[in-house]
Amino acid sequence: MVVEQFHIEQEETNEAYILRVSGELDLSVVPQFRTVLGHVVNLSDKSLILNLKDLKYIDSTGIGIIVSVLKIRDGLKAPFIVQDIPPSVKRLFDLTGITGYLTEGTEN
Amino acid sequence: MQEIRLQIPAHADYIDLVRICLYGIASKLSFSYEDIEDMKVAVSEACNNAVLHGSQSPESFPIDICFVIEKSSLAMKIKNDGPAFLYAEALNNAAPLQAEEISELPVGGLGIYIMQALMDEVSVRATANGNEVVMVKHVAR
Repeated sequence: MVVEQFHIEQEETNEAYILRVSGELDLSVVPQFRTVLGHVVNLSDKSLILNLKDLKYIDSTGIGIIVSVLKIRDGLKAPFIVQDIPPSVKRLFDLTGITGYLTEGTEN
Repeated sequence: MQEIRLQIPAHADYIDLVRICLYGIASKLSFSYEDIEDMKVAVSEACNNAVLHGSQSPESFPIDICFVIEKSSLAMKIKNDGPAFLYAEALNNAAPLQAEEISELPVGGLGIYIMQALMDEVSVRATANGNEVVMVKHVAR
């Protein structure tokens, strides 16, 4: 088992702010993730897209952050889309019930 | 029965080491890929709680993790000293997200529910100075 460090890439298109997260999203990277999210979560002029394609691990701490983003975007009436959820992550999303509140999508 | 022990500082930076150790141990047994993934998340959740609740005290206590290998099961014991955390109450109240509206969703509190949902047995006992969580996964036949 190789641990892939958590990494976030930010991108902005005409329609959306895109965050691509990869590696392991656990308690140790919560401050880093929150800082990056803080820059875009309140911007309601475009959609916010969270792409999880290369996410290898998530637990309740990461899911808690996604819930807080859902609530902020819902309050702003601004779109928030979670893209390319890997099967292992999806399993945990289904288990915790967050799936029912997400707008899911795929890139392209 | 064989026991393998690991001790980490009560800091989030070391929880990935617990997952690596678990992965190595579970791979030697005949657990499925999914079972190993489940145990990785469950043991991390227990360590998250130990870090979050242990860090509230001025002294930093280490977290002791013990993997108990039985013929057809693996038990993980996560013990930390520090202020008592009301695990018993949390275990009874653990539930998935189920609000009508997004605005009513609670942020946090899913960790214990995840542990219960992913493992075959979860129990907690108060020790003299803290908590010990014991989680068991049986090898599927």
